[in-house]
This record gives sequence, structure tokens and C-alpha cells, in this order.
Amino acid sequence: MAKIDEVKEQVIIGKTKMVPGLVQAALDEGSAAKDILQAMIDGMKVVGDRFSAGEIYVPEMLIAAKAMAKGVEVLKPSLSGEASTSLGTCVIGTVEGDLHDIGKNLVNMMIGSAGFDMVDIGVDQAPDKFIEAIKNNKNVKLVACSALLTTTLPALKKTVDAIRESGLQGFKIIVGGAPVTAQFAEEIGADAYAPDAGSAAEKAKEIVAA
Amino acid sequence: MLTKRQNLLETIRGGKPDRFVNQYEAFDCDPGSIFGMIMGDPIAAASPRVGRGEPPVKDGWGVTRAWPPNVPGAFPVHDEEHKVVKDITQWEKVVKAPRLDYPQSEWDKFKPKIAAVDRNEVFVTIFGAPGIFEQLHYLMGMDDCLIAFYEEPQAVKDLIQYVTDWKLSYAKLLCDNFAPEVILQHDDWGSHRSSFLSPDMFEEFFLEPYKKWYGYYKERGVQLIVHHNDSYSANLVPFMIEMKVDIWQGCVTTNNVSELIKKYGGKISFMGDIDNGLVDREDWTQELVEQHVRRACEENGKHYFIPCITQGGKGSVYDGVYDAISRAIDKMSKEMFN
Repeated sequence: MAKIDEVKEQVIIGKTKMVPGLVQAALDEGSAAKDILQAMIDGMKVVGDRFSAGEIYVPEMLIAAKAMAKGVEVLKPSLSGEASTSLGTCVIGTVEGDLHDIGKNLVNMMIGSAGFDMVDIGVDQAPDKFIEAIKNNKNVKLVACSALLTTTLPALKKTVDAIRESGLQGFKIIVGGAPVTAQFAEEIGADAYAPDAGSAAEKAKEIVAA
Repeated sequence: MLTKRQNLLETIRGGKPDRFVNQYEAFDCDPGSIFGMIMGDPIAAASPRVGRGEPPVKDGWGVTRAWPPNVPGAFPVHDEEHKVVKDITQWEKVVKAPRLDYPQSEWDKFKPKIAAVDRNEVFVTIFGAPGIFEQLHYLMGMDDCLIAFYEEPQAVKDLIQYVTDWKLSYAKLLCDNFAPEVILQHDDWGSHRSSFLSPDMFEEFFLEPYKKWYGYYKERGVQLIVHHNDSYSANLVPFMIEMKVDIWQGCVTTNNVSELIKKYGGKISFMGDIDNGLVDREDWTQELVEQHVRRACEENGKHYFIPCITQGGKGSVYDGVYDAISRAIDKMSKEMFN
């Protein structure tokens, strides 16, 4: 098996200690850095699909994302000399009045692992904080808003409304969280809804490419 | 007409209940407490609690708790500055359980409210939170905690042992002083869609500690263990049965409760199936509530099921929702039990 294929396989099973060495071996073998990165992104897609299908659980997804992050560290010096492989910047946060961060962090990892540059603005963030982050970061292609409480569903709507009313353009808005449904996402004018972190990454790629 | 406790026992034993158990009614034993259950003792009283809009405080375990004015409840703070455990392999250097050695006079202060409980009507129910898993992620944050199960399993097991030993010592004091009949213990084990851990991992880390803890309560005469866990955990029900849980409170609709009753009824009962997310909303109406209560009652039937809001204590986020559910359950009782 080529080292680049091994990188993918070891990311899938979350081998945090093995991935950095394998990434270096793949580079030494002559694979291009962007191809190795793509192999890891492909690996994380497998992880996301397995999570969405209920075949694996949160720890398995976290450890895979950590393995990829360690591999990316090794790749960074080589990637800087190549054309960008980024899908753009994603601003992510939990809306005002909500301190839940677990789901938001998982989505952050999975969308980041799909090839976006992530800007995590944290929890309990007012609409103007999302707008500020969109303005202050380059190439924002996606805004991801999370709400875990029924009490913060109105804040989710307020956030989407404020972003639309700001006049800023060039990005899509994806929403999610336990009480959020596809119907609610549509009602408040979001571009997409994802029920879990694995499908959020797929949906993110799909709507940004559309 | 059966008393509330008799009716609950008939329901969970497959006997002859004369109505639906109405949410938390059989555990509602302390009118002075926020959830209606016994929540006070010297150990809990000594652990600082943060109030809404107040500055963050450190609880008895050193976990910083914050409650901003615009959110409905307090949360542990897990930025790098505030995590208690930053390196799981070094937990012994930083984790110090709260003291348990209070004089008898301190315990005696809480006994009048136990004596005041009408034991013919309701159970002396002690509310407990957090659980073992929750205590772990309160100390280090959820992400670090879940990764540690893979990277440093022995350190996690050692910390679980430490937490469990402390909880067993606490349980002994509660039994010695309050002789509780029911323990309602919180520990959320999943999200709305899946358990946090795989069943194998859950079994490896949590089954034995919980068997010891809940088994001890049973040895000391506690009649019922009610475990609150408002998440998807249908895949963990066999372990709940093994650890002697009598009632799983908080089973959300994604668990397919009616199927669980068919599969496990008689070994464990299910309390919930009326999700906060569906009825406890800004735009709630009595009609919406009745629609969800009707579905739950009709699908799940009269045995091994207690219709209840899924949150872990009586009440609701929006005023009036809990009482609206109670009225709807009474209505279903009249319809289905006469």
C-alpha cells in the first residue's frame, strides 16, 4: 500500500501517533502535499459518513480529527509553496443566549477537515459578532450557526435575519442543533440544515460549490 | 383511587394502575425545592452555586460555573484558564473531591423536611447531579474527556474510580441520614441522535462503577433508582437494566419508546417521550401539548410508561408548559382508563 493510502486509513481509525510519520513518509515517497491533504480529507469524509450512519461515535470522530490535525502540521511547510486547496473560510458560532459548544466544536472539526479554514467565534454570540467576523476575515464562503435550546431558536432566526440585512454577500448560511429542523431552517431563510456533524461537512461542500 | 406512589408501582410492575402517572407527581416530596425533590444536605450546601447574572464561581470540585443573564441555566467553563484537568495523566495532582466529614448537627438541620414527607402519598426522593460521566467532562471539557477514553484509558478509569468512591461515601451518608426511597440521578449519556460512547466503550468504563453505586443504594433499602438522561440511549438500555435502574427518565422521542417498552417492559420502565424541544417553545399552545401527550400515551400504553416532559425535574423553560402537560395527561387518563 502506498504511504498516501496508509495516511488515509490511519486517519480514519484515528492513529494520532502514526499519522505524522506516515505523512512525512508519503512526502518522501514523492506524493504532493495537496494530494496527501486530499487523502486525509477523503478519510474524514469516511469518518463523517460512518458517524451519520451511527456506525461510530463521538470519540472516534474526535480522535480521527485529531490525527488529521497532526498530519496537517507536518504538511504545512510543504503546502505553503503549493496552490491553495482551501474551500474558503467558514465562520462558526453558537448563537446568543446559548452556551452549548459540543455540537458546534464537532461541526467545526468536520467542516475544517473537509477543507475549510475555520474561524470559531465561540458560544453565546450576538448577531453583530457573526457580522463582524464575516467582515474581518477574507474569503468567507460559509457561516455556520448553532443553537441547542428551544429558547435560542428565536436567536437563530435573529442571527440569520441580521446577516441577510447587513448586505454582506458571497457566502452561504448553514444552521443546526438539536431543536432545529430542515423546515425551521427554511422558514428562517438559511441556505442549508444539517442534522449532525458528518452531514454538515458534506452539506457545506455542496452548498458552497453550488 | 390509588395514591400517587401506589399508582406508580402498579404502572412499573405491570399491575393495575387506575390512571397515568402524571410526570413527577410521585417524587414531588419537598414543596420548598426547585424541582420538588430533596436537594439539600451539608455537602451540597457547602458547594458554591452561581446565580443567574452573578459572577462565575468555583463549585466544590473546583469547576468554574458561569450563568450569564441571557441563558436559561449555569454551565461549566472550559477555556484553558478554567479547566481543572488540563492533562488527564496528571489528574491526581489537581482533582480534589469535596469534603464529606460534616458533624451530625449539620445533617440534622435537613431532617425536618424528610420527616414532613407524606410517605403514603409520595416517595422520599433525593435529587442527584451530576453523574459520574458528567463529573468527568465538567472537570476537563467534553472534547478532552472523550479523546482521553482513547488516548489514556487507564487514567480515565482511575479518575472514574476516584469519583465513584466519593459518590459511594456520599451515598452512605444520604442513606444513614435520610433513608431515601427513591434516588433520581442525573447523567446525560448522549446527544439527541446518538449515545456519546459506543455501547462497548460505555460498558468498559461505566457499567461496573454504576453497578456498584446503584447496587449500594438498593442494598440500603432504596426502592427505586430513576436515572435521568435526556438523550438517545436506546442502545444502552441493557446496561441500565444491569445497573439496576428501575425507571429511565428523559427518554426522548428519537429512542422509539414504544419499541423499547415492547422489548424491555417489566425489566425497566420509561418516563418521558414528551420532548422539551417539541412542546417547551416560545410558541407553545395547549393544543400542541395535547397533540404530543396524546401520541405518547396512545403509543406507549398503560404499563412501564410514565408520560413526562423530558427535562430532569418538574417545570419547564416557558411558563405554563409543565402544567399544560399535566392537564393533558389527566385528560388522557380519563379517556384511556375509564
